[in-house]
Amino acid sequence: MTAEPEHAEPGAPGTPEPETGTMKVAFVTPRYGVEVMGGAESAARQLAEHLVADCGWQVEVFSTCALDHITWDNVLPPGDSVLNGVTVHRFASSSGRVPEFYELDGRLRVAPAEASLEQSRRWLELNGPVTPDLIEALRHSDAQVVAFYPYLYYPTVMGIEATAAPAVLHPAAHDEPALYLKVFDATFSDADAICYHTAAERRLVQRRHRVAQIPQIELGLGVSPVVDGGRPGAAVLGIGDRPYVVSVGRVDDHKGSSMLAAFFRLYKKRHPGPLALALVGPIAATIPDHEDIVLTGSVTEADKCDIVRDAMISISPSALESFSLVVLEAWEQSVPVVVNATCDPTREHCERSGGGLWFGSYREFEAVLERLSADAELRRLLGVRGHAYVQRYYQWPNLIRRYGSFLTTVRRRHEAARA
Amino acid sequence: MLSDETGRTDQRRGSPPDPDEDAARAYLDEVRREIDDEVRRRRVSGDLPPNIERELDQLFLAHSPLGGRGAALRDMLRLVDASVFIDPVVPVESRRPGGTTVKRGLRSLSLWYLRYVTHQVSEFATAVSRALHVLDAQVTDLRHKVEALAVPPSLAIRVPWAHNVAAWWVPPVIGELAGHDGRVLHAACGDGWLVGALVARQVDAYGVDPRSSVPGPELDSLDLRVEDVVEHLGAVAPGSLHAVVLSGVAEGSGHVERRRLLEGAVRSLSAEGVLLVHSLTPASWDGDDAPVEADMAAARPYRPRTWTAVLDDLGLEATVAEGPDGRDYLVTGRRHDGR
Repeated sequence: MTAEPEHAEPGAPGTPEPETGTMKVAFVTPRYGVEVMGGAESAARQLAEHLVADCGWQVEVFSTCALDHITWDNVLPPGDSVLNGVTVHRFASSSGRVPEFYELDGRLRVAPAEASLEQSRRWLELNGPVTPDLIEALRHSDAQVVAFYPYLYYPTVMGIEATAAPAVLHPAAHDEPALYLKVFDATFSDADAICYHTAAERRLVQRRHRVAQIPQIELGLGVSPVVDGGRPGAAVLGIGDRPYVVSVGRVDDHKGSSMLAAFFRLYKKRHPGPLALALVGPIAATIPDHEDIVLTGSVTEADKCDIVRDAMISISPSALESFSLVVLEAWEQSVPVVVNATCDPTREHCERSGGGLWFGSYREFEAVLERLSADAELRRLLGVRGHAYVQRYYQWPNLIRRYGSFLTTVRRRHEAARA
Repeated sequence: MLSDETGRTDQRRGSPPDPDEDAARAYLDEVRREIDDEVRRRRVSGDLPPNIERELDQLFLAHSPLGGRGAALRDMLRLVDASVFIDPVVPVESRRPGGTTVKRGLRSLSLWYLRYVTHQVSEFATAVSRALHVLDAQVTDLRHKVEALAVPPSLAIRVPWAHNVAAWWVPPVIGELAGHDGRVLHAACGDGWLVGALVARQVDAYGVDPRSSVPGPELDSLDLRVEDVVEHLGAVAPGSLHAVVLSGVAEGSGHVERRRLLEGAVRSLSAEGVLLVHSLTPASWDGDDAPVEADMAAARPYRPRTWTAVLDDLGLEATVAEGPDGRDYLVTGRRHDGR
């Protein structure tokens, strides 16, 4: 926990202000909308809306009619609409994730780097959403820069191939088998620029893809203002005045929720007391009933903020995050965090900020939780440091200024190359 | 631009180290150490049944990246040890009426056979586990020995009188690169003093520096990154750069590190690409005004004619221009078939 932040002071001289009113940017993302729960898709929407609101730029989005990232069912109507100043073009996908996907995925994930290009192309198509109409429309877009978010799906892979405008790839990559499939080689190497969430994500991508020479930026995401619901968090959870720790996000095996629940059950068996665990988010895993574990399902933003604000600790058990906004949202409310030690991006946040601890086994989880439960001063210190980190690096005005400046540079570089 | 005379400190942040910040960092390091000690103590005490710890470890690792930072060999060995024994007594619980009785009967009938097989498998697993423990001990021992000999990788040295736009070797470098379309890497880029000068001449330049004092993501008017230079070059697509400019990185790195650095640089160059290396001379390196890193470096600068030989070996034809006072020189390397 000694790593120094590697950043100069924000707003340092020499950074050009982004142009206003002169750029047209397109985002390509497989799902888009306020109903969409998903880190990468939410990030794309936030960037798009802030470019409109803060820079006055024109932004359009090419997306599908899907809300579900497993089935990719066409739920929303195709066609054009405007959402918070952003023009959204929706296209029905011709196929979503099909059952054969799981068989192929199971085979390829054992040694993904050994899969042939043909096999990995097949994997991409079976994973969905297959959207030839979206790609065709993108060809005719007059956007001066196109941002793709994330790397993993058909619209990004085919869109980077198709667009004539400079392509900015937001990989949102985790250390997952798909990253090693050959079908993504060109996706990374053909990008004109890359926007990473963290240095850890950049290291991960560069271990797999030789793209270090491509212009790039480490940006991350901004934290939205806290929506105070005005109720005690424990009251929202219905647990009286019990102290609690919280984990926000989709309750899913892949997100570490089942592991966290199992660890917490054993912790409570060995440390009886009033402490409870609140799992806050849509439920996609079976968590056995337990008197000390509360599953809320989806909650309003105000309820979420109330719950997080009054939590003793916020825990991010997921090993597969490329940024983790929920960690920053906890710090925004000066709540200390505990993260999965094998997740480089969240651990990097903790190391840089000094705002959190991490665990790599049940033993460590127990020792960390025991220590934090008993040490209010340590919790306060971690919360204060986390809060300062968020204030310094992850506020929207500064981030969008940097992003706008980056996109301007990408566009100019592209124009210079064409000239 | 910094005016630091020693090259040891960086004043870009404009403020001395914050004692509160240092104290907080030290305190949090101490907390981590205490937690680690507590974990070790409890593991030795055996207060958690091994089978439960194994189940929890497996649960933790189920969705962890294989290359994650938490994946220590010793943790993996705990999993191996906990899995060595293969239990021949299969569970007999059943949801169907009479199922338990039937299963128990089958278990009794087959136990002699299963026990024979599982005994051999357990013996094999035990042998493998022991071998892995021996390997772990040897690797740990080796690591300690190597650590004692290790030098900082990609040692970057700041030489204020040579690393600034007014230095004699900078105009020739800018003249060489201006007017070309290809991408140019400068390492170690410091605060971007050369990258900025190149960009001002419409050169598509970016910089890499292993020192954390480099302006990072906050300054996106220039593409500057905090990365190990050799690692960075390893992640650059072959033939994708028009030029690589090295300053402050070739002098003090060890011979193997320097070789990897140069191989990476040459591999990244296009057919018409050019390698430009600024280096102090050995005499300057040994002088009283040499940077303090000179005393700590694993090696010393090459002589100019050594560069010619080394780059020739890498397929480049080198020319060397010496500085006006003999303290430094600029090597320019082009492919034999380039120009």
